[in-house]
Parts: sequence; structure tokens; C-alpha cells
Amino acid sequence: MKRHGFVNWIKHILSTIDTSHREQAAGLTEFEARELENIFVLLLMGSFTGIPAPPSFIAAELLPHLQHEIKVLKFRAENASDSLAEMAGLLGID
Amino acid sequence: MKVLFFTGKGGVGKSTLSAATAWQLSQTGYCVLAVSFDPAHNLGDIFGVKLTHKKKKFTKNLYLQEIDLETAASEYVRTNVSLLTEVYGYLQSFNMDKYFKVLRFSPGIEEYAALTALEKILKNEVSKYDYLVIDTPPTGLTLRMLALPRITLTWVDQLIRLRKEILNKRYTIHNLKGKYEPRGVQLAYKEEDDPVIRKLFQLREKYSEVNDILQGEKNSVAIVFNPDYLSLRESERLIKGLKDLQFPLRVAFNNKLTDENNEIALEVEAKLLSAGCPKRIERVPLIPHKGISGYMIEHNLTASFL
Ligand SMILES: Nc1ncnc2c1ncn2[C@@H]1O[C@H](COP(=O)(O)OP(=O)(O)OP(=O)(O)O)[C@@H](O)[C@H]1O
Ligand SMILES: [Mg+2]
Repeated sequence: MKRHGFVNWIKHILSTIDTSHREQAAGLTEFEARELENIFVLLLMGSFTGIPAPPSFIAAELLPHLQHEIKVLKFRAENASDSLAEMAGLLGID
Repeated sequence: MKVLFFTGKGGVGKSTLSAATAWQLSQTGYCVLAVSFDPAHNLGDIFGVKLTHKKKKFTKNLYLQEIDLETAASEYVRTNVSLLTEVYGYLQSFNMDKYFKVLRFSPGIEEYAALTALEKILKNEVSKYDYLVIDTPPTGLTLRMLALPRITLTWVDQLIRLRKEILNKRYTIHNLKGKYEPRGVQLAYKEEDDPVIRKLFQLREKYSEVNDILQGEKNSVAIVFNPDYLSLRESERLIKGLKDLQFPLRVAFNNKLTDENNEIALEVEAKLLSAGCPKRIERVPLIPHKGISGYMIEHNLTASFL
């Protein structure tokens, strides 16, 4: 009985470690995904950013499907300076 | 359908030679569509008829058309704006129509419009004609128009690669967390569910097709030049530009030759050959003023295109 509880306890610890690892990994990947999404719309809006723009019809064709990415762009523009802090947090650097 | 582009510096004889080539091919029995992309049209003048944006029958197997780049540019802008107004309905209240007139002067619009017109012809006329003979606009615009499919493909490939990476990340997150719904929105993580990558695939297919035609076996670019140094310089630039774009420059016409300019004609030819000009150079004599009557010139031009 007691032994059984111990195994469960170990299991619980391992699963907590696993979950926390997964969450950390997911957090990092989410950060990367957001960065890429941000770059994706920035590239399409070349004339807006001042870098050479792709032919305008590409942006016109894609824009209707990019609500999420544009939200990310807006979020990143507002939180540009926090981005380093966010990354440090994700990597566990204080 | 074979496609022939006549390129070269202003005034060297592109319109004259393309019109004459189209005429001669049609006289040989081929079905020919001659199209002018030069905003300063003179195809109609050469054939002595009034032409519009729509093709016109000249003989039973020769049709003529002048692309109106103004109209094409407005159409282009309109199509793109309407893509947006479908989604962002409120744009309609901006009354974009008012701006079309100036929007068509936006950078790049002219070559988009020209290319769109070319795509349309390539798509709709392939099966109807043996030859499509094109009188091109000034060199800069011609090169930008011909480069556009490649530029588009370069961008689209780059965006596809980036998009795949995004989808991969989303897939990883989905696997780690069971779902990935930032702010309650379910994001696509598979290619088949992602409208963005599907649109990109569509664009890639469309412009690969156009590019394949332009770089393909059935396309011939002809360069027209005169025995003079200005025409030499521009031809060198044109040859380099076409080579960078991997377009098949197959024939050159050394036009307006006389006994007097024979020496310089040979010099220009030699220089152009070393710049990568096709080996096949057709020499066309200067026709005495009275001898040139529109599209009919005696010299046979079709040999290189059969
Ligand atoms: N072989 C020739 N002999 C005599 N005249 C010629 C010859 N080729 C062209 N021309 C004349 O040279 C002038 C310019 O020719 P053309 O309009 O065909 O040139 P182009 O390259 O189309 O010019 P643009 O760039 O202005 O469209 C015309 O008056 C034409 O009749
Ligand atoms: Mg001309």
C-alpha cells in the first residue's frame, strides 16, 4: 500500500516535470512561431517597412487570410522592447 | 503557338519588322496574332487601320491588337482593390474609383498590367494561332515585364518556405499542448488547412506556367539594332538583361543597312556577338523612303522563325 503510494508519487513528479518541460518547450516554440508570423507579414508589407516589396498582387491575394498574423504584427510593434525580456523568461534567465 | 518578341532601342525598326514578319507569316498560311505592347502604338498606323484593346481581323488568318496599357493598368488596380473590398467591405465607402486614375501611376503598375495582358493572351489564344508576334514597349519596361514572373516566383518560394516553418512550429505546439488556439482562434497547422499556403501554391503554379512559356522552346526573342553606336550600347544592355532572365534570344536583325554604313555595321555585329548576341544575324537593308509601305517589305524575315 505504502509502496504503491510512493510509485504514484514518483509518477506524479515525473509527469509534472514532463508537463513543465512540455510547457516550456511549447512556450519557446510559440515565441518562435510568433516571430516568424511577424516576419511573414512584414515581408508582405515591404512598402510599409521600406524594404523591397514583393509584387503587390501577392499581398492582395494573401491579406484576407492574415488576420492572425496582423494581430501578431500589432502586438509585436507594441511590445518590441519586451521581446528580449520575454525570451529571457522563456529560457529561464533572470 | 510560337511567341516572337521584337525588342530593341527606340526607332530601330521593331514595329516595322514585327508587322512585316506577322504579314509574311500570314501570307505563308499561318494563323497569326500581332500584338503591340508599346504604349506609343503604331501597329494600326502601319497596317492603316484603327485598332483597339480588342483584337481585330485584318485578313482571314491575321489578327491585330494594340494593348491599351492605361486600361490594363486600371483593370489591374480594380481587380486587386476588389480582392480587398470583398473582405473589407467598408473599403467600398472610400469610393476607391476616385483614386483609380492616380493609382495606375503607382510604381510597378505598368509592368503588372502589361504582364496580366500578356498572360491573358497566352491563356486564351494558344490554340487559335500558330504565331503570336509581339511589338514590345521600351526596353526598361519590357525587361521589367519579362522579369516579373521570375521575381514573383522568387518571392513566392521564399514565402512558402517561411510559411512551412510557421506551420511546423504550430504543429509542434499542437503536439506539445494538445491544441494551439491563441486568443481562442484555431490556427491551421497542416498545409491542407492553411488558406495562405494554398494561395501561395496557386500563385507558384500560375507563374511557373507563364515563366515556362517565356523561357521555353516555343518562345523567341528577336533583337533589332541599327549600325550605330547608340543602338549598340542599348543592345548590349538588352542582351545582358535577357541573359540574366534566361530568355531565349534567338535572332538578331541588323536593320537599315546601306553601302555607306557597311563598315560600322560589321563592327557593331562583332561587338554584339562577343556580348552574347545570337549567331543568327539577319541583315535588312535600308529601304528607300518610297519603298516602305506599311507592313510590306520585300526582304524575307520569316526564315528564323519557322
Ligand atoms: N529597313 C528599313 N528601311 C527604311 N526605313 C525603315 C526600316 N526599318 C524601319 N524604318 C523606318 O524607321 C522608322 C522607325 O521604325 P519603327 O517605328 O519600326 O521603329 P520602332 O523600333 O518600332 O520605334 P519605336 O521605339 O518608336 O516604337 C520608321 O519611320 C520606319 O519606317
Ligand atoms: Mg514601335
